[in-house]
Amino acid sequence: MELVDYSGTFDPDFSYEKLTKETLLKLIRSDAEYVRRIDGQWYLAVMQKCGNDVAFACDAEIWEKLEAYTMKITCKLLNIHGNDVVTLIKALQANPWSSSYEIKVDLINNDHAIISFINCPTLLALERDGSGREMLICNKLEVKLMELKAHYFNPNMIVTPLKLPPRDPNSEICCQWELKVDR
Amino acid sequence: MKELMVDYSSSFDPNFSHEKLAQQTLTRLLRATAEYMRRIDGHWYLSVMEKWGNDEALDCDIKVWERLVIYEMKMLSSLLNIHGDDVVTVMKVLQASPWTLTYACDIDVRSNDCAIVTYRNCPTLLALENEGKGREGLICQELEPKLMGIIAHYFNPNIRVTPLKLPPRDGSGDICCQWEFMLER
Repeated sequence: MELVDYSGTFDPDFSYEKLTKETLLKLIRSDAEYVRRIDGQWYLAVMQKCGNDVAFACDAEIWEKLEAYTMKITCKLLNIHGNDVVTLIKALQANPWSSSYEIKVDLINNDHAIISFINCPTLLALERDGSGREMLICNKLEVKLMELKAHYFNPNMIVTPLKLPPRDPNSEICCQWELKVDR
Repeated sequence: MKELMVDYSSSFDPNFSHEKLAQQTLTRLLRATAEYMRRIDGHWYLSVMEKWGNDEALDCDIKVWERLVIYEMKMLSSLLNIHGDDVVTVMKVLQASPWTLTYACDIDVRSNDCAIVTYRNCPTLLALENEGKGREGLICQELEPKLMGIIAHYFNPNIRVTPLKLPPRDGSGDICCQWEFMLER
C-alpha cells in the first residue's frame, strides 16, 4: 500500500517510490521552494558579509552557468525537444522552479508567445526588503537569464521584456515577456 | 480518466501541471531536483571562494546551512507527518531528505534510540577529492558534524551525534563517512 506520509514505523527500505502521487506532488512543490531558499540564503549571506555588489556578481555568474543546466535536465527528463518558442514555454512550465510561480501563457503561434508571471515569491521578498534590489535582479539579471534560456533552444529567439518591476501597487503582473522567432 | 503523461514530449498544454505527470516521472523529477540543489549550493560556494577566498565561502556556507537544515526539518516533518523525539525519528527524516537521493546511505537502526548511518557514496566528497585541495578537511570535519548535530537536536537536544569515520578516506572503495546517533534516557 502506498504511503500518504511517513508517520508509520521506520522502514529500512523507505524510498519516494513508496509515497502516493499526492505526497510526491507536495514534495515537488516544497522542493521548488527549497531550491529558491538555497539560492536566496546564499545571496543574503554573501550580501551581509561582502556587500550587494559581490552578492550580485556571484548570483549572475552562477546563474549564467546554471540556466543551461536547468533547461538541459528538464528537457532530458521530460523529453522536451525543439527550437521554437513553444518548446521554451514547455520547459518553463515544468522546470524545478515552476511550482513556486504562477505563469500565464498567451501562445500566439509556435514561434510567438507572451508569458506573464502572476506570482513571484522572489519579487515579493525583494519588495518587502525595500532596498530596491529588484532593479538589479529583475531588470538586469533576469533579462539576461531569460535570454540564456531562450538561446538554449534557439540563438535567434528574441526576448523582449514588456513589463518589469517596479510594479504599480495594483498590478497583478510581476513581469511579462514577449518571446519570438522570426523565420 | 485521462492518461498520465510519462513525459512532456506531446504538444503544448496550456494547463500543464506536475499533477498530469505519472508517478514514476515525479520521482525522477525529485531526484533531478535533489542533484540541482546540490549544484546550486556548490556553485555558490565556488563563486564566493574564487572571489573572496575559502574562509569567507565556508563562513557563508555555515550561515546558510545552519538556517536551511532547520527549514528542511520543519518542512519534511510537517509534510510527511514525522514526529517524535527519538533517534529513529531522525533516521526517518534523513531517509526522506532530498539530499539522501543524491547519496548512497545505509541506516542500521539498533534500537529506537541508537542508529549508525553510513554514507557509501557522496558526490560532494567525490568533487572535493577530485579538486585535491583538501577542502573536505573543513567541510566534512567541521561543517557536517555541526549540521548533523542541528538535525538531531531539532528532534531532541539530548541526542548525541558521534562521527565514527570522516574523510580523508583510504581510497575510493572506502566509505565516505559514518555517524552514530545515540540517546541515553
